[in-house]
Amino acid sequence: MFDFKISGKSQRKSETKQYDLIVVGGGAAGLTCAIYTSRDSIKTLVLEKEATGGLAASTGLIENYPGFPEGISGLELMEKFHQQAERFGATIQEFEEVTEVEPVRKGLLRVHTTEAVYETKLVLLATGSQPKQLNIPGEKELAGRGVSYCATCDGPLFSGQDVVIIGAGNSGLQEGLSVLNYAQSVTFVEFLPHSPAEKILQDRVMGHEKSTFYFNHQVMEIQGDDQVTGVMMQDRESGEIKKLAASGVFIYVGYSPDTKFLQGLVDLNRWGYIESDAEMWTSVEGIMAAGDVRADNPAQVSIAVGDGAKAALAAREYLAAL
Amino acid sequence: MAFLNDETRGQVAEMLSDLPDQVRLLVFTKPAGCQYCDVITELLTEVAETSAQVSTEVYDLTVDTEKAAEYRIDKAPAIALVGAQDYGLRFFGLPSNYEFSTLLHGIQVAGHGAAAHLDAQSKEYLATLDKEVFYQVFVTTSCPHCPPAAAMAYDMAVTSDLVNAEVVEAQEFPRLSSQNNVMGVPLNVINRSERVEGHAPSSQLVAAIKRSLR
Repeated sequence: MFDFKISGKSQRKSETKQYDLIVVGGGAAGLTCAIYTSRDSIKTLVLEKEATGGLAASTGLIENYPGFPEGISGLELMEKFHQQAERFGATIQEFEEVTEVEPVRKGLLRVHTTEAVYETKLVLLATGSQPKQLNIPGEKELAGRGVSYCATCDGPLFSGQDVVIIGAGNSGLQEGLSVLNYAQSVTFVEFLPHSPAEKILQDRVMGHEKSTFYFNHQVMEIQGDDQVTGVMMQDRESGEIKKLAASGVFIYVGYSPDTKFLQGLVDLNRWGYIESDAEMWTSVEGIMAAGDVRADNPAQVSIAVGDGAKAALAAREYLAAL
Repeated sequence: MAFLNDETRGQVAEMLSDLPDQVRLLVFTKPAGCQYCDVITELLTEVAETSAQVSTEVYDLTVDTEKAAEYRIDKAPAIALVGAQDYGLRFFGLPSNYEFSTLLHGIQVAGHGAAAHLDAQSKEYLATLDKEVFYQVFVTTSCPHCPPAAAMAYDMAVTSDLVNAEVVEAQEFPRLSSQNNVMGVPLNVINRSERVEGHAPSSQLVAAIKRSLR
């Protein structure tokens, strides 16, 4: 009935400033790489601007990561990654944001953070992605006042109330399932004429007595003064404007990469994702990329794990040749 | 029935193994209208069993009114985390799921009498305080972003005698949550006036404290 999780380990900052490898980002890709490299005696530092776990840690239930037949909560899975990396000696520093990566010469890069400057032979960028904003009226103004990007966190606050979820893809439906446990009704609004989500999720949510779907509709505005009262949307086929009353609006319309601090350093595609080759190397020597932040990578834990492992193997080879 | 499995119990024991000071967990319950009062008492007993430095005391909010007033407890379930002195650390609700980490962090900082993460600038500012700061953090137990926000409040409270930090499980106290218009967590409310949404950096919270004291 009750669960008791230990996360966000209380830790003192490391005094060491020189590493073989610095991993920027403590999500699935970064922690996997750290597991491999620290196990291989490569002196590894993971810098994470929040708590480790990345996007996966905010996912209520992950059902398609192999090895967990009943599924596992995202945070629990990511805690295991964290523990495994620490077990092999990786240094993991949470709540320390990287502000600049500065290549100095072959085999030496400086990593500037909000707290220190580190030196390293190699950098892995695994900064992941974050929920995309719609940039429509009311979204910013009502954030935290009914507009949310974390159903796992805020869903319980809307017990017995009417909720709208914008986006009926995998994330929208997966997180919608948790909101359905609390809310009186959940209305999904999807821009496309169909749900792009996995069929198993569609079957679960569409068959739920409390769910309603609007496909091919675009949300134009989130309404409310001090708190959300509803949304205004347009039927993309007929042009009809419709209003939905709701106390909460959860937004799941995709993700955007966390690469602002990398502009002008490595090649990015037009959406800001990092261009890299099959061995995870970016356009700059000594800098690799892995996970959701790589161009053309679907946001999946399994894929991030694969990337992290490949990056670690490439790192080992590179460091041995230095 | 034990709430903590062997693995978790071992982790807790390790985390609480080096506390320099004794930590008293004062639990306030009430006989009616408290869904988790029995659970919280049992849970904290199990936590205290992992460390010789941690003990629990159970009080009835409706009977032990002087003790409740002494520790500024007005609702249950509640926990006052008291180290070498009362640093003003409180948790209202059952610290289950992700909030178990907040409880452990509170015990650690109370037992060390020092913050775990707070930066030097924030410490310098807190040393200059000359007015009381009432720092509330509203959380849900299913929120993975909430423990670091709550930890920040506890770190500030243990750093300054003038800061009192209350972590409130929003679902268990719907009226208080409604009064504070809690629609997203974590929500930091400073001196009942300044709101900071999300897990914010210490600089942002210090700025909110400054605004609240103007």
